[in-house]
Amino acid sequence: MINNNNTKGSMNKMFSERIFTSTRIPLLVVVVVICIFQMVNPTFLSYQGIVTLVYAMSYFLIVACGLTFVVMMGSFDFSGISIMKLSALICVLYIENFGLWVIPIALLVCAAIGFINGILVAKLSVPSFMATLGISIVVDGIALLTSKGFLHLMNDEGFRSISTTFIAGIPSVFYWSIAIWLLCTGLAVLTPFGRRTYAIGANSRAAALSGINIDRQRILVFTLSGTLAGAAGVFYMSQLGGGSVEIGGQMMIPLFASVVAGGTSLRGGSGGPQNTLLGVIIITWIQSGLRMLGTGLDTQMVVLGIIAIAMSIATTDRNKLMRSIVK
Amino acid sequence: MSTASRERKPNFFYNIAKNYPVVVIFIVLVILFSILYHERFLSPANLTATLRQFVTLILFSIGPTFVMLLGSMDQSFIGIWMLGSALLWILTPILGPISLLVFPLFGIASGLLIGLIHVKLRVPSFILTLSVLIVYWGLTVIIVQGNPRIVPGYEFLTADFIPFIPTPFLYSIVIILLAVFIVKRTKLGTYFYAIGSNEEGARLAGIDVGKYKIVAFTLSGFFSGIGSIVLFQHLGGTVPVSFSMNNVVRPLIAIILGGTPLSGGRGGPQRTILGALTFSVIYRGLYLSALDAEVIDLIVGLILIVSIVISSRGGELRGVEIA
Repeated sequence: MINNNNTKGSMNKMFSERIFTSTRIPLLVVVVVICIFQMVNPTFLSYQGIVTLVYAMSYFLIVACGLTFVVMMGSFDFSGISIMKLSALICVLYIENFGLWVIPIALLVCAAIGFINGILVAKLSVPSFMATLGISIVVDGIALLTSKGFLHLMNDEGFRSISTTFIAGIPSVFYWSIAIWLLCTGLAVLTPFGRRTYAIGANSRAAALSGINIDRQRILVFTLSGTLAGAAGVFYMSQLGGGSVEIGGQMMIPLFASVVAGGTSLRGGSGGPQNTLLGVIIITWIQSGLRMLGTGLDTQMVVLGIIAIAMSIATTDRNKLMRSIVK
Repeated sequence: MSTASRERKPNFFYNIAKNYPVVVIFIVLVILFSILYHERFLSPANLTATLRQFVTLILFSIGPTFVMLLGSMDQSFIGIWMLGSALLWILTPILGPISLLVFPLFGIASGLLIGLIHVKLRVPSFILTLSVLIVYWGLTVIIVQGNPRIVPGYEFLTADFIPFIPTPFLYSIVIILLAVFIVKRTKLGTYFYAIGSNEEGARLAGIDVGKYKIVAFTLSGFFSGIGSIVLFQHLGGTVPVSFSMNNVVRPLIAIILGGTPLSGGRGGPQRTILGALTFSVIYRGLYLSALDAEVIDLIVGLILIVSIVISSRGGELRGVEIA
């Protein structure tokens, strides 16, 4: 009875706890990161430095939100970076044919790839990391084939202005990504869609028994992840106006690190896009900070790889899971 | 009676096809490629190249096979080869040829570390070994300052002494036999199969699952280390500095094609031989065709997906938790 009376109250409490308790450690890390880089490099928090940081985190936040949904569900999506690259490439190659209509086309293609991921995982019972790894290799191959390895430059000013218009001193891509992040957070915390995702991540068998169509939900979440990766690619291309997205598995590391650094455990059922914002800030700011200091990609990868491992250890709730099977 | 006797004498070829579908794929591909490129495919030069490809695949894939038997994943093998080579570059001027031992020692240390983190701190092995691999790659590049350094003095490892048969192939036979012995003739192997097919059941039967998982990761590191001794010279005798996910994926395809599914519990190193052989034939066949390298990569990705889908269709995986 008591439970019944307090259902709504405890529900609200659960959501507020979900948002606030798990963000303390990441918030602390953000402050430490800022302090360290500010001490080593006084231009870190100058206006130009902040614009650099905002540029670095914005598109990344969007693709990380997509991965967060998948990780929340207890699965993994390896193909985010590859899909993002393909989407950026579609924009730059076909903008002359389609104008700005190229954006929905790119998003549709990416949603379709995410859908295929979902079918492989849900309907064909392929473990998600290998399914998405295979898809990412195929997508990389398609991207290399269509670009023929050349660097393509985006000359369309209208397309560039989506990201590079400055509003109140900050590039518009920041507002876009925050808007998408807010939408994702709402989707995760307030809607049945989000609750079903948490339920599958916490215990998929219990979720299935309680009437959730887990196959459909898995396909939807992978499609969402693909679409968000596609959106990230659009913003990436409009922000940088060209250039190649760095290829390969190593680019997965910062992305994955930012999701776990926020506090979304790889075991699923916890965290969410609300946490990922802080994770993305930690990781992209460390990366930009290191880059401003002139370190190479190799050092960045060593640092981020170690952070990724440390954060996956830190975000695992060991008391609860000591007897469960970890593959 | 008659049905019983019919069952007792099953068709030999049917049995092979049922239990080793990859053999059928292998034979079909060899016939197909022999017809398509009739002079080039069966030429001595191509057969030697196929063997070289096979050696690369089998030496990279024999270690992770142990881990995949348990249903986990080890992607660090490329990292052991890369960072081990960088350590060899540092140590050779100091210690001489004995520094080749750095590969197995580093492999054991790395495997032990990964096993401990995976088992004691409950980090999923796929993402853990991927992160470790990236860290090793970064450290390699830092150590050699971005240049693919040549380490001279180890040419004897690959010097021919039987014509047309690459010497690394002879070494790999020894390594394969050792791995097959461990899996087939020791207690360890039995425990690996038990844990892979039903981890909870193995735990209830009194097997110390955590301990044997750590052993499997250590063995994986050890075999990747031994393999890297040969592979180091086989793949050019320089410290590798460029990283490609393709190098990671191809040995994994060989394992899965061979018949060790991602869920573990079946297969083993003896099956990985078949997988590596089949994938080498596929790869040589693609190489001889006029296709672009990108198209080949794309096809390899498709082969990966198809082989996983087929291997996960096996009866055991039905109803099992997927992640």
